[in-house]
Amino acid sequence: MYGMPIIEASGLTRRFDSFTAVEGINITVNEGEVLGFLGPNGAGKTTTIRMLAGIISPTAGTANVAGIRPDLEPERLHEVIGLLTERTGLYERLSARRNLEYFAGFYENINVAAQVEKYLKLMGLWDRRDDYAGGFSKGMKQRLALARALIHEPKIVFLDEPTSGLDPEAAHEVRDLIKKLSTEGRTIFISTHNLPEAESLCSRIAVIRTKLLALDTPDNLRLRFFHPQLIIHMAKVTDAVEAAARALPFVLSLKREESALTLELKNMEINSPEVVKAVVDAGARIASVTEERPTLEDIYLNLVRDKPENVK
Amino acid sequence: MLNKRVKNILLKEWQVALHDLNSLLMVTLLPLLIIAQAVTVFWAIQEFAVDSILGLDIVQKALSNLIQTVPAVGALPAVQQIQVFLLSQMMFYILLIPTMIAVNSATFSIVEEKLSGSLEALLATPLHTWELLFGKALAGAVPAVILTWICTLIFFLAVRIMGWGALISLVVTPAWYITILLLAPLMALLSFLLGVIGSSRAKDAKSAQNSIILIIFPVFGLIALQVTGALWFTVVPTILLGILLAGVNALALWSAVKLFRRESVVIRWK
Repeated sequence: MYGMPIIEASGLTRRFDSFTAVEGINITVNEGEVLGFLGPNGAGKTTTIRMLAGIISPTAGTANVAGIRPDLEPERLHEVIGLLTERTGLYERLSARRNLEYFAGFYENINVAAQVEKYLKLMGLWDRRDDYAGGFSKGMKQRLALARALIHEPKIVFLDEPTSGLDPEAAHEVRDLIKKLSTEGRTIFISTHNLPEAESLCSRIAVIRTKLLALDTPDNLRLRFFHPQLIIHMAKVTDAVEAAARALPFVLSLKREESALTLELKNMEINSPEVVKAVVDAGARIASVTEERPTLEDIYLNLVRDKPENVK
Repeated sequence: MLNKRVKNILLKEWQVALHDLNSLLMVTLLPLLIIAQAVTVFWAIQEFAVDSILGLDIVQKALSNLIQTVPAVGALPAVQQIQVFLLSQMMFYILLIPTMIAVNSATFSIVEEKLSGSLEALLATPLHTWELLFGKALAGAVPAVILTWICTLIFFLAVRIMGWGALISLVVTPAWYITILLLAPLMALLSFLLGVIGSSRAKDAKSAQNSIILIIFPVFGLIALQVTGALWFTVVPTILLGILLAGVNALALWSAVKLFRRESVVIRWK
């Protein structure tokens, strides 16, 4: 489904004096993939993006982005990547058009006027093209900054907290634009602490807290870190019903409430009919049976809370 | 001669500056204040302190240097000799204009880019460090030099209004032309590059500006050399000074590129 590896980091580490911001990150992102980079504030997300984008150098480890070492040839790398920085960093006293023209002017072989028009229209800013960027709303500034990152048609795009500080409507607009980009076959590396956003946009998710804590698809993360739970609602949970459920070898855990049993099973699809049969045989009068899947938030909180040793 | 990216920076810098009232006031008022201050001081000395100045040994020594360079001054009355002597000091004093403007625009252009977050976006383009610094240096230095020339004309106009106009032909020696046409651009460029070095090495904008302002002291050193009679800048010493400054400029550009650590300006500044 995805192409060859296009971003590879091996043991990527960045120290600032005695403070370690990022330690031993190993990561591979394939061409066309959308990778979400999740972590709390200060987890090293921005530092990692800066290292991969050739803005700062690692103190240990190496990275390879589009076949280029970011620390050795940043200018060559910048021809093929786009970076949306955490702050929009626009020239507020210049118009939207002039902001884009300025940045487009640093790339070779692009039709500046055509690209500026294309992206102003794509971002819904064409009608405001001659207005000062300083007068734009946060959402409009973010869309303009996104246009700036894309003006040279990069095949890899790094987005650092693209919806941070935006109101829900503006955040939704930016997310739609990112979805559109992902359908164009670009590789997108997106850092965020908005979990639903990561789940809706990303094919794989990396959880970082100085070190890489996990990297997988949202579904695999659920399987790795949580077992789905079966909740059986009934008129009353009796001792006999509880004992019947506990006796089953595939029940990993059981929580009893007055009118519900919550069970963690080894394999939900295979084991749940057997559990239902066992409790019915023990006299349970079942009202409903539901399966509860953990959210990405559950996984994330489990990972970042359970690894205090990683906190620097 | 200028590559596409340097030109791009140059145009953007000027466009941003034209929209910024504070920076426009700074670059127009500061040179006028420098000129006004000089004219006022010269007038006050001539009005109230000529006799005491004539009595100073160092002034006598400097005057003899001046007369050696421009023999016609020897034929003038003592008061007019002092007037020519004072006006001659303007040759280097006027270098404060490109220096101050360039220092201010250097710190301003780097500091503002850093504080607004645009510098990181800029560093994520294929722009080379030397292109960024050279573009910004030119953007600061060119207006600084043009303003220096305009202010020189304003100064001589003020001199005529003061009634010293007849002395201008004795003051404007070939060394003046070399100063205005060669030293002023070199000083502007050097000041800007040193400003960039200071800005990129400092931990914050304030300490950057504090450290860079020291650049004006060599200008005062040149004035002191002439006023004390230690050296009178005729054509040859002025050309030599120009060659020295050109070398220092090349070294400053090289150092600025080396010292402008992209990551330190992205990470360290608050």
